[in-house]
Amino acid sequence: MSELSSPQKDQVFTATDVGNVDSVLKELRKIVGETNCTASRHIRYAYSYDLSFVKPKAPDYVVMAETVEQVQGLLRFANKEKIPVVPYTAGTNIGGLTIPERGGILLDLKKMNKIVDIDSEAHVAVIEPGVSHAKLADALYKHKLRFGWPVGPPSASVLACAISHGIGGLNAKYGLNSQEITSMEVVLPTGELVRVGSCAIRHDAWHSCLPMPQLDGLFKGWLGSTGVVTKIGISVHPIPPLLKVFTVSCDNVEDMYSYMLNLSNYEMCDDLTAVSWWLAQVPIPYPFKTKPDDAPEWFSFATTTSWTEKEREARTEIWETVFEEEQKKNTSIKRTVYPEEALKGRTQLPSQVVGSTKNYCKQGGAGISWPGTFTPAKVWAPVYNKWKEILIGHNLSPSVRMSMYRGVHYGMLRAMIPFNKQSAEETENARHAIVECLKVDLDSGGIPYKPPIDFATEINKRANPGYLDLLRRMKKFLDPNDIMNPGKLGI
Amino acid sequence: MDWKIAELKELEDKIWRCTACGTCKIAYDYGPPPTFGEICPAGTEFGFEGMMASKGKIAFARGILSGELPWDDELLEAIYKCTVCAGCQNQCQLDHKPFIPEIIEAMRRKAVEDGVGPMPLHKNLLQSMKNYNNPYQGPRRVRTDWTRPFKKAGKPIKDINKEPAPVLFFVGCTGAFNTAARAVPTATASIFQKLGMDFGILGENEICCGSTAMRVGDSEEFKRVATKNLETFKWAHDERGVKTIVSSCAGCYRAIKKDYSLSSEYDKIMEGIEVIHTADYLNRLYKEGKLKFKGELPWKVTYHDPCHTGRHLNKFIIDHEGKQLWKGAYLDVDQSECLYEQPRDLLKAIPGVEFVEMPRNRANAFCCGGGGGVMTGFGEWATKNASLRVQEGMDTGADRMVSICPFCHFNLNEGSKRIGGQVKVHDLTELIDKVLVGSNDD
Ligand SMILES: Cc1cc2nc3c(=O)[nH]c(=O)nc-3n(C[C@H](O)[C@H](O)[C@H](O)COP(=O)(O)OP(=O)(O)OC[C@H]3O[C@@H](n4cnc5c(N)ncnc54)[C@H](O)[C@@H]3O)c2cc1C
Ligand code: SF4
Ligand code: SF4
Repeated sequence: MSELSSPQKDQVFTATDVGNVDSVLKELRKIVGETNCTASRHIRYAYSYDLSFVKPKAPDYVVMAETVEQVQGLLRFANKEKIPVVPYTAGTNIGGLTIPERGGILLDLKKMNKIVDIDSEAHVAVIEPGVSHAKLADALYKHKLRFGWPVGPPSASVLACAISHGIGGLNAKYGLNSQEITSMEVVLPTGELVRVGSCAIRHDAWHSCLPMPQLDGLFKGWLGSTGVVTKIGISVHPIPPLLKVFTVSCDNVEDMYSYMLNLSNYEMCDDLTAVSWWLAQVPIPYPFKTKPDDAPEWFSFATTTSWTEKEREARTEIWETVFEEEQKKNTSIKRTVYPEEALKGRTQLPSQVVGSTKNYCKQGGAGISWPGTFTPAKVWAPVYNKWKEILIGHNLSPSVRMSMYRGVHYGMLRAMIPFNKQSAEETENARHAIVECLKVDLDSGGIPYKPPIDFATEINKRANPGYLDLLRRMKKFLDPNDIMNPGKLGI
Repeated sequence: MDWKIAELKELEDKIWRCTACGTCKIAYDYGPPPTFGEICPAGTEFGFEGMMASKGKIAFARGILSGELPWDDELLEAIYKCTVCAGCQNQCQLDHKPFIPEIIEAMRRKAVEDGVGPMPLHKNLLQSMKNYNNPYQGPRRVRTDWTRPFKKAGKPIKDINKEPAPVLFFVGCTGAFNTAARAVPTATASIFQKLGMDFGILGENEICCGSTAMRVGDSEEFKRVATKNLETFKWAHDERGVKTIVSSCAGCYRAIKKDYSLSSEYDKIMEGIEVIHTADYLNRLYKEGKLKFKGELPWKVTYHDPCHTGRHLNKFIIDHEGKQLWKGAYLDVDQSECLYEQPRDLLKAIPGVEFVEMPRNRANAFCCGGGGGVMTGFGEWATKNASLRVQEGMDTGADRMVSICPFCHFNLNEGSKRIGGQVKVHDLTELIDKVLVGSNDD
C-alpha cells in the first residue's frame, strides 16, 4: 500500500508525540463531533493537492468546525499538542497555501457559512469564512448592493480572499478586498478569541477598523499563520444602474501604460485593467502560440458605473479627452471591440463560466500558477518585456494582466500560466519560468501576493533584516508553538 | 452484441483535466439577479472535500488510478455516497465535463471488477435482478398487480405478448413493484385509455431496464438485461407493430435512450422505434390541442426536475477532431432533449393550478437524493436528502410537489413524511388524469 505524500520526516508533530493517532481523533471528536473529523486516507488525499505547481502533501486529520467555540477548542488542543493546523475554506488560492507542509490538522471552515448581517443602510456586511462569493452576491443583490468580486470560482470564500489581499472588480475604485475589511473576529493559535476594529469595543459595531491601532494587520496577508478568522465586516456598495466599459488596444505595453496612467488620474473607474493578447484568448494558449501580426498586443477595459445619464456622459467626455491626448502622443492606441466573453469576465461577476478555470487552463491541463504581484505601475512595461522573454523561452504564453489599484502608483502585475499537470516535467518547467519571472519583478520593486513557498523564499532573501526579525517575533508572539500553517512564510 | 462501456483507466486523461477549482460545488447563475444554491447532495450531507461534487469524485479517481488510494471500506462507501445526479457536471466548464457521471460510475465498475463493490445492500438488489429480473425481489406475477382494477372495471390493458399495438408502455420496476409508486403506472394507463390510445404492456414478461445495475457499477448485469430488452424491443417492433415506447419512469427512459445506445446494435435495433417519456408525449398532444381538461385543481404546485429527465439528457458538443479548438475539447452543451419545459407547460395548462418555481430548478435542480443507488445503499440519507428538497418546495408556499419519476415520487414522499411535510407529492400523470376529459366522460 502506498502511503500518502504526507511529509512525515520534517513534521513537527508525529503520532507518537501524543500517544497514538487514535487518541488525537478521539480528542477531535470530542471537540467537533463524530462526523466532523476524520483521518480517512481518501478524505485526506482530496485535500492534498490544488491547481498549482506545489507538490501534493496530505494532512493527517481533517476537521470541519461549525462554531467559534469549536475552533477555539481545536486550537487549544492543537497548541497543547503542537499539532499544525491549516485553515481552509475552498483551497482555490493558486499558491499551494492550504497544502500542509508538515501534516497535522486541516481545518475546513466551509460549514461556518452564515451571513451574520447585511446592513443595507450602513453598507456593511458581516460574514463567516464559509460564505462564498456566490452566496454573498445572491444575498447582497437583494439589497441592490455589490462587492469587489474576483474573477475566480464563485464557490471560493469572500473572507479568505479578503484576508489574503485578494482583488476584485472594484479594485480601481476601492482598492484591495482587504482594504474593504471593517472589523474582524479571530481565534488566536492559543485559542483565545479576539476582536479588532470597532466590533472589539461594541459587539455589534462592525463599521470600521479606525481610529484604533490597526491590529487587523496581524491577520491579513499572513496566509492563515497567525490565527483563524471567524468573522469579518466588509464595506459593500450600491450598484449604480448604468454601466459603461471603455475598451482600447495598443501594440505595445509602453503605450498601454501611458493610457492607463493618464486615465487613472481621473479616478473614475471601478476597474482599470489591461491584458496581453494571450490572456484575452479564452482559454490561454498552451503551449506558447505566436500572436498574429495584425492583432494588437494589449487590450484594456475601463469599467465605469454611473447613477444618471448625465454622469455617464461626463465620464465619457473625460475618457474621450484622455483618448485624444494619448493619440496626440502618437502612440498605437486604438478604440477596440473587446471579445464578448472576456468582457463578461469584467462585468458579470462572480461567474461560473468566466470565473472558473476554463478561462485559464482548459487547454493546459489541470495546472495553473502565476507570478502574481503588486508592482509599481512605472515598472510594469520593463518587467513585462522581461517576463515575455522568460515565458516564451519556456514555451509558455505571456498571458499578463495589469490593473490599477485605487489610484495610479501601483497595481497588479500578473501572468496566469497554465500547464499540463499530468506531466511532472511540464509542471517543473512552469515552476522554473514563474520563479524566474518573480525574481525579475522583486528586483524591480514588486512584491508577490498569496505567495507559494518558492516565492516566500525569494522575498525573504531580499528582505530588510529588521523586517524579518519583527515578522519572526510577531509570529512567535501570536503562535508560540508554530502550529498555524507552518512553513508558509518561509521564515 | 458489443457494449462500449468505459473502464476507469480509459478515462485517465479526462480525469487529469480537472483543475480542482471547485466551481462544481455550488449552483450559481450570474443573472442578474444572481442565484446561489447548494448543488451536491453528498457535499451537503458530508461536507468534506472528496465527498463534495466532482472535484472530490475526481480526486478519488486520481488516487485509485495512481495507486495512492487502495480500496478500503471507507473509500468504497465514499464512491457510493453520490446520487450521480450530475449537478456538479452542470457547473464544471473543463474538457472532462461531459464524462463526469461516467467517471463516477467507472470507479464503481472498477470496484465491482476488483471484487470489493458494490455495497452490501446493492448486492441484494443485484441478486434480485439475477433471480427475479427486477431489483425489488418481486415475483413475476406481481408485476401486473397494478392492472387488476383496470380489468375489474372492464377496461383491461392489452398484453403485447398476445396482441399487437403501436405503443408499448414500458412500466418499469418501481412503478410495478413499489406500492407507493403504483399511482404512476395507474394514472398513465388511465390517461392513455381516456385518450383512446392503442397501447399495451409486456406484463409479466417485462424485465428491469438495468438502470440501477449500471448506476452501481455492475455493467455485466446491466448488459444482460439491456440485451434482452433490446431483443424484446426488436421483436415487439417486427412482430407486434410497436413504433413507440413510452415510459413514465425517468430512470428507464434515461437507460433506454442513453445507456442502451452504448450497444453496437442500438441504431439497427431501434430503427423505426421512438422512445419517449410520458410527459413529452402528453405535451405533444396538448400542443396539438388533443388534451381537454375539465374542472379545476385549486392547487399551488411546484415542480421537481428528476436528474434523469433533466441534466442526464444533456448532449455535449465535443471537438472530436480538433477542428475548432483541440481534440477532445468540450465546446458546448445542447439541452434540447432535457424535459424541462414539457412538464411545466402541462402543469400550467391545468385549470386552477398556480405554478410556483423552487429557487433551484431545471439544470440547477437539487436531486431528490435517491439516485445512483443511494436509496438502496443509504436509505436514511436518501430520505434526509429528499426532506431538504421537500422543504424547499414548502418554502415556495406550494401545497403540492410534482415530478415525473416514480423514484423521485417515492423518495420525496418519504422525505415529506420525515419532516411531517405539508406538501403532498404527486406524479404529473396523477394530476393530468384527474382533470383529463376522457372517453368515459363523453
Ligand atoms: C481561476 C481562478 C481565478 C482567480 N481569480 C482571483 C481574482 O481575481 N482575485 C483574487 O483575489 N483571487 C483569485 N483567485 C484566488 C482565490 O480564488 C481567491 O483568493 C479565493 O477567494 C480564496 O478563497 P478560498 O476559499 O479558496 O481560500 P483558501 O485557498 O482556502 O485559503 C486561502 C488562504 O487563506 C487562509 N485561510 C482561509 N480561511 C481562513 C480563515 N478563516 N482564517 C485564517 N486564514 C484562512 C488559508 O490558510 C490560505 O492561506 C482565483 C482562483 C482561481 C482558481
Ligand atoms: S470537476 Fe470541474 S469544476 Fe469541479 S473542480 Fe474539477 S475542473 Fe473544477
Ligand atoms: S453527481 Fe451529484 S451527488 Fe454526485 S458528486 Fe456530483 S453533485 Fe454530488
